[in-house]
Amino acid sequence: MSEGTGKGGFSLFDAEERILDGARRLLDRMKDGDPDLLAEVGVLADAYSRSVREQRRLVKVSDRLQNQMTQLNQELARRRAEAEEALEQLRQAQETLVQTEKLASLGALVGGVAHEINTPVGIALSCASHLDDSTKAIRALFEADDVGVDDFERYMDTAADTAKLIVANCERAADLIRSFKQVAVDRTSSERRVFRLADTITETVTSLRPNLRQGGHEIEIACPADLEVDGYPGVISQILTNFVMNSLTHGYADGRRGRLHVEADRGENDHVRLRYRDDGQGISEEYRNRVFDPFFTTRRGSGGSGLGLHIVFNLVTGPLGGSVVLENTPSAGASFLLEFPRVAP
Amino acid sequence: MDNLFIAATERSPEVAFDAAAGTLRIKGESYPEDASQVFGPIFNVLQDYLGQADGNGLKVDFELIYFNSSSAKALMNMFQMLENATDVDIVVNWQFMADDETMKEFGEDFSEDLEHVTFNLVPVS
Repeated sequence: MSEGTGKGGFSLFDAEERILDGARRLLDRMKDGDPDLLAEVGVLADAYSRSVREQRRLVKVSDRLQNQMTQLNQELARRRAEAEEALEQLRQAQETLVQTEKLASLGALVGGVAHEINTPVGIALSCASHLDDSTKAIRALFEADDVGVDDFERYMDTAADTAKLIVANCERAADLIRSFKQVAVDRTSSERRVFRLADTITETVTSLRPNLRQGGHEIEIACPADLEVDGYPGVISQILTNFVMNSLTHGYADGRRGRLHVEADRGENDHVRLRYRDDGQGISEEYRNRVFDPFFTTRRGSGGSGLGLHIVFNLVTGPLGGSVVLENTPSAGASFLLEFPRVAP
Repeated sequence: MDNLFIAATERSPEVAFDAAAGTLRIKGESYPEDASQVFGPIFNVLQDYLGQADGNGLKVDFELIYFNSSSAKALMNMFQMLENATDVDIVVNWQFMADDETMKEFGEDFSEDLEHVTFNLVPVS
């Protein structure tokens, strides 16, 4: 009871009660006097008594309302804190997923590397094995003192051919390892350096060759050899990888052979313009506004995470300090245009 | 003459009465279940003090952020009590946040019936 007499031993309406008591005593004293006067004072005392009752009621109602308001405010603050916490958790989960996705694409890269290096190493190995066989055969003839000029000439040809093939293929393997190493280092270290854009594009495309070759796709690169960028080669590599994997997954699902293009050039204000396009089935109108949204995918069931282009968007607008748009193209296929400062912010 | 100190709770203000110094400070928020429980002890010490002030004055500092209707009623009673103690010099400092128009208006309302008590509106930021 907000206006009651609690332990403190006083009433909020103590003064009013005393006046009401006084009024009652006054009426008592007047009871034998002028009835008109008595009636009028009685009316006043009644009105005051009602007014005090009304005041008590108002105070009580008002207290209750203020209480409710306070509780609602506290509840509101609590809910808000909860919502903010949930949002923060969501952000972290999203961040984790993005990281996972990056690692997954690095895993795919490593798979591609193994596959790609396997070919020259395999050729070199069989050449070496063939040379070994031939050497054993000519040695046997030699030890039997039975080497003819023809035999020896044939062996010399074999040795020269296989040695040439071994050297060429080992060089090829070494080249591959070098470029993969660069891509892998850039991709994992996110280190900043000055690099030739054409080299990074070429290295990245090389690392994607196994994926491209599987479907018979071809990729064309057009980039000035002397275009130097001060920034993050790993980011460019990641972006291109995501674009290519996106094309392969969505653009040519029907088994068609595709032609992919990477075109880079100097733009205005010391910016770089990089266009990636394919001639696949394109992106339908209803999805155009959502391709960069996180977790947007048309392939949820078949392993799409919906993060590929979202990561592209984050990388372009984040580390590169640039912009990326999905272009409207008259012809079939998807075309993305990146613009970013040649010297990263 | 007893001093009085009541720590603040979530719904009631901090109360500090120093009899020797002749100061009372009420600070915080006040929307208690039972206003008489919060203000009753204050009334008691004030009554004692004002009854035997013996030439000593009284300074009351209000630093309230928020109060409900029954607390407002109790404050009104308190001001009445102060106003009636005509033989004691009483100064009231009504502190309010400079941007809190409502709290300022409450102070102005309370001061309206006071003649004997010196009432200062003190904006703080």
